[in-house]
Amino acid sequence: MKFLRERLDNGLEVIAEITDGALSTSIGFFVKAGARDETDSLWGASHFLEHMVFKGTADISADEINRRFDWMGASANAFTSEEDTVYHAAVLPEQQHEATALLARMMRPALRESDFATEKLVILEEIRMYDDQPPFGADDRCRASFFGRHPLARSVLGTVESIEALTADAMRDYHRQRYAPGNIVLAATGAVDFKALVESARTWCGAWEPQATQPRQTMPVAWAPRAESTLEHITRASATLEYAVRMTAGPAGHDEDRFAAKLLAAVLGDDSGSRLYWALVDSGEAEQASCHHHDYLDAGMFATQLSCDAGDVVELLERIEEVYRQATAEGISPAELEQARNKLAGRVVLVGERPRHRLFSVGLEWARAGTYRSVAEDLQIVENLGMEDVRRVLDCWPLHGSGSTVLAGPYPAEASPESLEESQ
Amino acid sequence: MGQSIQRRQPVKQTIFSTTLNNGIVLLGEELPGLESVAIAFHTPAGAVHDGPGRCGLATLSGEMMLRGAGDRSSRQIVDSLEGAGVQWAQSVSMSHASFAGAMVARQLPIALPIYADILRRPLLPDDQWEPARQMVLQNLAGTEDDPAHRAMSALRQLHYPSPWGMPSEGITAEVEGIGLEDVRAFVSANVRPRGTIIAIAGRIHWDAFVQSMEHLFGDWNAGATQPVVTGQRGPHVRHVQHDSQQTHIALAWPAPPYRSDESYEATAALAVLGGGSSSRLFSEVRERRGLCYSVSAGYHTLRDCAAAVCYSGTSAARAQETLDVMLTEIRRLPGTLEQAELDRVKARAKSALVMQQESSAARAGGIARQWYHLGKVRSLAEELARYDRLSVASIEAWLANHPPQELSVVSLGREPLEVPHEISA
Repeated sequence: MKFLRERLDNGLEVIAEITDGALSTSIGFFVKAGARDETDSLWGASHFLEHMVFKGTADISADEINRRFDWMGASANAFTSEEDTVYHAAVLPEQQHEATALLARMMRPALRESDFATEKLVILEEIRMYDDQPPFGADDRCRASFFGRHPLARSVLGTVESIEALTADAMRDYHRQRYAPGNIVLAATGAVDFKALVESARTWCGAWEPQATQPRQTMPVAWAPRAESTLEHITRASATLEYAVRMTAGPAGHDEDRFAAKLLAAVLGDDSGSRLYWALVDSGEAEQASCHHHDYLDAGMFATQLSCDAGDVVELLERIEEVYRQATAEGISPAELEQARNKLAGRVVLVGERPRHRLFSVGLEWARAGTYRSVAEDLQIVENLGMEDVRRVLDCWPLHGSGSTVLAGPYPAEASPESLEESQ
Repeated sequence: MGQSIQRRQPVKQTIFSTTLNNGIVLLGEELPGLESVAIAFHTPAGAVHDGPGRCGLATLSGEMMLRGAGDRSSRQIVDSLEGAGVQWAQSVSMSHASFAGAMVARQLPIALPIYADILRRPLLPDDQWEPARQMVLQNLAGTEDDPAHRAMSALRQLHYPSPWGMPSEGITAEVEGIGLEDVRAFVSANVRPRGTIIAIAGRIHWDAFVQSMEHLFGDWNAGATQPVVTGQRGPHVRHVQHDSQQTHIALAWPAPPYRSDESYEATAALAVLGGGSSSRLFSEVRERRGLCYSVSAGYHTLRDCAAAVCYSGTSAARAQETLDVMLTEIRRLPGTLEQAELDRVKARAKSALVMQQESSAARAGGIARQWYHLGKVRSLAEELARYDRLSVASIEAWLANHPPQELSVVSLGREPLEVPHEISA
């Protein structure tokens, strides 16, 4: 495995992790643009723009883009998160040039008014689709409550109102700002011809105007995770189960303790074999009870998710709280540490074998921090995690106590606040 | 745009197979360059053997098999697997109960005896029965909240003859009537060597693997093959009332099963209809009209029958138009295939085949699936050659003989849709 990098004069970065013997090549444009970069009038613009990028350039139609990807045999798609917009394609190595060229040209979309109007309908359908399925908006509402005035409070999709109000002109401005070459990383993994990759970047991206990179909206000086707990409820009388999302503060993306936080989350709330699994899922009391750690540039959080019979939700949230309280009081056992290390190491190896998955680890890490870690280095980090690291996370970021909780489902709204407050 | 260019440089492929005296089929594929190994155990204890009024019995049995086996408790099984970094999974399909794991290759000797216990020596203990039952009921409650899943499940019940279209995850009212003694009888009758397929892929040592399988499974002799009585199909059109903003539309019509050579023509035709982002459904329904976020067509196969399947979810007010456009595109398919469309379908299929070689789990699943359907594993070269033989003429000939008809139609949402009578006749 070999890592190479190059920076074009206009600021665009080109990186590659090359694996001998890989059968495929994965290519991605990682744009530092996400929900956190939006304002009220641009809410949902990053994700909407991601859709518009597939609607074509001045000289390539949307149909042509779709046909070309299929013709290359590419598995191509895109996603938008709070901090990144990623366009990616997995192809056989002989299609590296074609795939890179097409993705690069797409980064300068036409943003036609008529396409904008049609695609707006698709975005609204996507919002309705998510609104119809678990956790019925509880995740977005919880994020808004937990982050408050922090730019990470914004949901990626936006709302029906914000999408309806968005104009093509505002999107064009947003694109000019965020899709500047200095704000984009071209990353490739697998069987990569790096010389050809840089050559493609020069050909298709070299003429992009360099611009002073817009700084990202930062955390307000006064922002801190909530000291008090909040509880909200979304009524979905027709839902069969009750869904709860709870967010508490955790290590941020620049904090070395983020690795220990992920290990702790695996011990406490992995989808199988964790403390929450044995306490609530194995017994058939909850459909799901899990905890995961998420980190961003300047903040981090533990997200707990529960789904169960509506009548049990209060009691089960209390029991989750108790699992967390006990972990803070007594720590985890050496056997749990060992099991979680092996579990995480296994995942690193399996993800590392597929260039199309490895692309996201490599590209996102570079886009966020400008750093690269090989699979061996990732394994070393997991291997080095010790009891004292987990202890430090438990002390600094206790999962019990203050946090934001949102319920969605048939649970009677008027009954929820009091009974839950009592448990905190 | 010219003919799609695909690299002809062969991918080195080494496939092994052998059958133990008791009928267990062992399959292996060596994938050079990988550190991992993936293994999948498929026993013929699928939901097709649930029996009338007991839909969910196979799923309950699969769940119970994990809850204590050999000298390990439920907890010890999971701790042992996860302690070795094994990513494990258990699932029940119509045909099989499956137990799978992917891991760093050196951990395989730890995992194999655990899986052998699960298959051969499940304890099915009294104290795990209620938790297992509750877990299955919780999962069923969860699927009630997943409208797309419900629409597709209802579609399979319409399309396939009973019991092949029943939901493998069960039906709540029927699960509630099943007892532990039913599970014990089911496991004893259906978890057996004949019909079991064990597939391994990745960094493997075939001879050593066969030896340890002989050791772990060689003296397992139990049970005779259980016959399945195939019944009737249901009605062709159904509306499922669901309080949601979107209406979900699911369509199916008959297609040849995977073991039929014509399945290649069928899958290619369906890929042209709704397989990629340049497919007709994606272009007409989403890109041109903005009617929905998701729309697709695909192929679903059981051993003896298969289905062409289309799906879309869209807001109630635009659902009728979405259905109408989908039906127009389905009807338009025969006689209109273009060479460029076929070229793209071939390129996508070939590329996906090659990329599958990078995943031990995908290959372990793939070779087992092929054995179940074909009684052999097709090499990558054979598969690529078969795609090369696809032509506009061969697909049009198949479409002419098998035009989309006898459609099953499910809508799930607040209002039923109008379905033209002639399409379901």
